[in-house]
Amino acid sequence: MEGKPYSQRLLELEERFEQLEPLIPEGSEKEAMSVLHGIVQELWRHLRSGGPAPSTSALTLADIAELHRSAPPMEGEAQSTPLPVGAQAPDITLQDSNGRLVSLRDFGGQLVILIFYPLDWSPSCSDQLSLYQAESGEFARYGAQLLAVSADSIYSHGAWAAVRGLTFPLLADFEPKGEAARRYQVWRCADGFSERALYVIDKKGAIRYSYVSPKLSHVPDIYELYRVLDGLQARVHGAPQVAGRK
Amino acid sequence: MKAISIHRAGRCATHGERAAPTIAPIVVYGTSWCAATQAIRRHLDRREVPYHHFDIEKNPAAAARLRWMTGGSLRHPTVSVAGEVLVEPSLQEVDWALSRASLT
Repeated sequence: MEGKPYSQRLLELEERFEQLEPLIPEGSEKEAMSVLHGIVQELWRHLRSGGPAPSTSALTLADIAELHRSAPPMEGEAQSTPLPVGAQAPDITLQDSNGRLVSLRDFGGQLVILIFYPLDWSPSCSDQLSLYQAESGEFARYGAQLLAVSADSIYSHGAWAAVRGLTFPLLADFEPKGEAARRYQVWRCADGFSERALYVIDKKGAIRYSYVSPKLSHVPDIYELYRVLDGLQARVHGAPQVAGRK
Repeated sequence: MKAISIHRAGRCATHGERAAPTIAPIVVYGTSWCAATQAIRRHLDRREVPYHHFDIEKNPAAAARLRWMTGGSLRHPTVSVAGEVLVEPSLQEVDWALSRASLT
């Protein structure tokens, strides 16, 4: 293979570079070496990408999907305590991006992962929901339905879902604004949007997991969510976890 | 590559508590709350590509190493693939690097 010798050589050089780090005294010279290394890596990455320079004239769909990266940050500590595990999940009925009414009770007999996120288009939310989209096959193996809720309108949801390729329902907690989030104790009154929160609701409508991110910018750990789903699976089937997750 | 058996599909074995290793073919530096880090780790899981993972908030040595390799940046995720250091790469960039290094 063409890449093998280069790869092996680069690996060896990187290994040597890494081993030198603790041997060099802190200071501007060390910093300069580190910066130079960073420059070399970025140049190499740019050359390897091989594409033309990005156009500055026309905004593409991909540019719009990435707008969240240059958007103002969303910061703030959690202000809410979620409903406790064991409580009955309050029913909610909200419009999806197609204007259809969707109720939690429509999914009775099914595991539901209820996602409250602050706002469409915002930092963290964009990556969080794309992550769940990529994991949709895995959630389906657990028989879990994803429902995502924010205070945005159905039109914002529709545009955002189209740009990011989201296929699970985005529900509009728009009017009365934040009513669903209030029922789940995750509304942030002063901000006008919800906490970043997760609920796992079992087939009987009981809350089996509730979580509010300690910071708005923090996305819940998906490995933790899988541990929860594995635990529920084990409780139902006596099996340790879904076999062979990918 | 088979000898580097840290993370496998569906498992979460280290959470960055390991001592700093010598460089591995694939290392993911990130945090447990970063969606992009999670996306890359799950991508590697799905492809059954073994990798080391370091939580830079829990592992100061890994954070220092990351800073050293990137010219002072602690941006995450950063993925090192056979010596190529990719700061906040797309999944496609990771796949390209894996392919160049014949790791898939």
